[in-house]
Amino acid sequence: MAGAIIENMSTKKLVIVGVVLLLFQAFAFMVGGLIAPSPTTAVHYLATKCVDNQKGHQEGRKWFMPWGPNQCDKIRDFDEAMAKRIEANNIVFSVHIPLPNKEMSPWFQFMLVILQFDIAFKMYNQIEDKAFVTIDVSLAYRDDSVSEWTEMAHSVEQRKLSCNFTTAKIKENEGRYYECDLLPFMEVGTVSHKYYLVNVRLPVYERKKVNVGIGEIKDIRLVGIHQNGGFTKVWFAMKTFLTPSILIIMIWYWRRITMMTRPPVLLEKVIFALGISMTFINIPVEWFSIGFDWTWMLLFGDIRQGIFYAMLLSFWIIFCGEHLMDQTERNRFSMYWKQVGPIVFGSFCLFIFDMCERGVQLTNPFYSIWASDVGTELAMAFIIVAGICACLYFLFLCFMVFQVFRNISGKRSCLPAMTKARRLHYEGLIFRFKFLMLVTLACAAMTVIFFIISQVNEGHWHWGDYTVQINSAFFTGIYGMWNLYVFALMFLYAPSHKRYGDEQASGDQGGTSGEDIQLTTTITHADGPTEVYRMMGKDSQE
Amino acid sequence: MESFCRKYLSLGSPKEGIPEDSEDALASMGFCQFLASLVLSISCHVLSSTAWSVNNFLMTGPKAYLIYSSSVQAGAQRGTEECKYQFAWDRWNCPESEFQLSKHKGLRRATKETAFIHAISAAGVMYTLTKNCSMGDFDNCGCDDSKTGKIGGRGWIWGGCSDNADFGENISKQFVDTMENGHDSRAAVNRHNNEAGRLAIRAMMKRSCKCHGVSGSCSVQTCWMQLSDFRDVGNYLKIKYDQAQKLELDQRRMRAGNSAENRGAIADTFSSIARTELIHLEDSPNYCVKNLSLGLHGTEGRECLQTGNNLSQFEKRSCRRLCHECGLKVEEKRIEIVSSCNCKFHWCCTVKCEKCTQFVTKYICSKRNKNIRPHNSTRRRQRVRS
Repeated sequence: MAGAIIENMSTKKLVIVGVVLLLFQAFAFMVGGLIAPSPTTAVHYLATKCVDNQKGHQEGRKWFMPWGPNQCDKIRDFDEAMAKRIEANNIVFSVHIPLPNKEMSPWFQFMLVILQFDIAFKMYNQIEDKAFVTIDVSLAYRDDSVSEWTEMAHSVEQRKLSCNFTTAKIKENEGRYYECDLLPFMEVGTVSHKYYLVNVRLPVYERKKVNVGIGEIKDIRLVGIHQNGGFTKVWFAMKTFLTPSILIIMIWYWRRITMMTRPPVLLEKVIFALGISMTFINIPVEWFSIGFDWTWMLLFGDIRQGIFYAMLLSFWIIFCGEHLMDQTERNRFSMYWKQVGPIVFGSFCLFIFDMCERGVQLTNPFYSIWASDVGTELAMAFIIVAGICACLYFLFLCFMVFQVFRNISGKRSCLPAMTKARRLHYEGLIFRFKFLMLVTLACAAMTVIFFIISQVNEGHWHWGDYTVQINSAFFTGIYGMWNLYVFALMFLYAPSHKRYGDEQASGDQGGTSGEDIQLTTTITHADGPTEVYRMMGKDSQE
Repeated sequence: MESFCRKYLSLGSPKEGIPEDSEDALASMGFCQFLASLVLSISCHVLSSTAWSVNNFLMTGPKAYLIYSSSVQAGAQRGTEECKYQFAWDRWNCPESEFQLSKHKGLRRATKETAFIHAISAAGVMYTLTKNCSMGDFDNCGCDDSKTGKIGGRGWIWGGCSDNADFGENISKQFVDTMENGHDSRAAVNRHNNEAGRLAIRAMMKRSCKCHGVSGSCSVQTCWMQLSDFRDVGNYLKIKYDQAQKLELDQRRMRAGNSAENRGAIADTFSSIARTELIHLEDSPNYCVKNLSLGLHGTEGRECLQTGNNLSQFEKRSCRRLCHECGLKVEEKRIEIVSSCNCKFHWCCTVKCEKCTQFVTKYICSKRNKNIRPHNSTRRRQRVRS
């Protein structure tokens, strides 16, 4: 990878490129901050308590609507149920998503529902330790407000109650609510229907200890989270714009490499692979989710992101390794198995974990790996292993960066003593490395800073009349940034067609000293044969 | 007349009136009928002196908001209950008559206690409206006009709707504050206290977050605010009640009589007070003694707490506060209570209990002279209520 464009570019041109990229970066932030709404919305639902009057179960499930025409027989609270001698098994908690006069839309991309119980404290009916709630849930949809409901999923699930009562457990505090953790309830990968209906039952079987000792449940609350349509549109627009940009630079880059007589070196291949994984993320296949009911889109998105992250991490390792400037022969992927191994293994763990959670949710949207003890342990195991892999990786990376800097300072001291060709070669290496190091650190710092800001902040800033959506700006800005990073990488690190300059050619041509020959043997791997030919003064190529 | 009024006004009583019904009823009513019903209900209100405060809300609020009546009523009820709980061991125990917020005879006090009542009622209304909004009780809940004109405009596809709490706050404002439409300082104080009550709900809201990024990581996170227990709001407002500030209006400017000047003076004074604080204009009367013209029942016959574990300092001193400091003595009574015990519960609707009898000691304030005969009846009622 000799004579990359970045080395041969004049400072002026480099500054121009930098400014243009910065402008695009600012634009990416502004698109998110000023045009897009906040990325997601949370909608509160309070379940209506319906009474199932049917004695014997007839064919087909009966659906209970909380409001509107054909609404169910409701009770406001359980004192009423007590008076009417209604049993727990005949009470159906019903939630219609969305609220009246609204429709769901495919632009929402996904729907995530959180479950919360309002459990009142009673002296003689407290929540037992390690209590599990068994819920009988079913989900139905329809696309107009008159037709019958069609069942989408039905399942009997268990959720672990982890509640604590913050005040003293005395008679005076009866009726206060426990503070319970949020429970995962449901996750749907596409929102292709207009209306959804959730019916929840809490059946009691005393003999099997089902739903015994769960306290006095007063209400069931659901929080529905979905992506905002506006954000989806801005996101799609961005992806649609970025795909061809990265694709074009990728093709240009590969053409440049194939035009050379030598085969591409490892680093060039890795940069190209990075471009491919970026394009893979960029390709806006999500457009199809508007028309098709593809529930696997969420999982697919996760996989695409995972591939990109793994690729980016591998790239950093290989880039460092190829700039180590020691005398080892590298240029082979197998040289890096020690460093890339943890990445692959960690990503694989996360992939398995994701398959266990989102993969199973394709068939049963109510499934959650966190619901059972075994599942929780398994999930934690995967995440911890992935975390260890990440730590290992960063140790390797930091060590490699340290090594490179040590070698750089070593080479620096003997640079003036070298021949010009050799000096230029090392100066190029150092410059390329430092430049990427700087840009990468800047990008990573930006990501971390914006991540923290978006976590700490309420989500939007008021700036005069404008409302700046920090979270959206974070997503579009960071997404744009890594795209620009890959773009700049492919553009600046593409092999240059320029020579080192005439003076070099003329100055060094005669002195084919032993040093130069030695040089060829040591640096072939890093720079490819072209460099050698050029330095030897043989214009054999182009 | 009375029963008819009750029936008409129970248009949306918490138990029977499911809002959709009332709404349908409203839709089916012609305009004339609607007007007639309004006139009727207003006259009902005037006629029945015991009409409950909510009817004030309903009758003075904008008439288009009748669909919210049941929620407003339930909310005011919630406020009343919380007030009773909070003041159970105070000299002033939040009697129901105090919730007669009407402006009868133009005589309304503006004491600390009325400030609390205003705040807790406004808070209760907002709380219930917010909750019922999430239940799908109202058609227009959430998506208000606040986003019109911005990118995406109306509807919720682009950027979602405003919070349910915003909805509750707006409707509560329209209902409760329209009762206080005067330009005098009292109306301003009451409006301020209503606002403080609603802000108490906001202050006590809890933030919850859910991470749902790649593999459930926190790269994507959604947060939302949710209502806390209404008891927390009550506790918060009780603290605000203890710290309530007395408003010293600029008497000279007030006396000038010029209403514009007057308003200016009120505005000046209010700007110096935080919106979350409760304020009052008058000192509280002596709640120890009975004063029927002010509607005070006195503390005689009230129960207090003396012994028992888990009592707070405030509760332990209740006998001193209610009885001794009011010149009454504490009378000890041992009574037998039949209560249910050894119960087996399910989460709903099934309770299997045994009856147990136990003796408990109650402390009751009574006159210092030996004659305790006339208060037996009140005592019993107190016991039942507690």
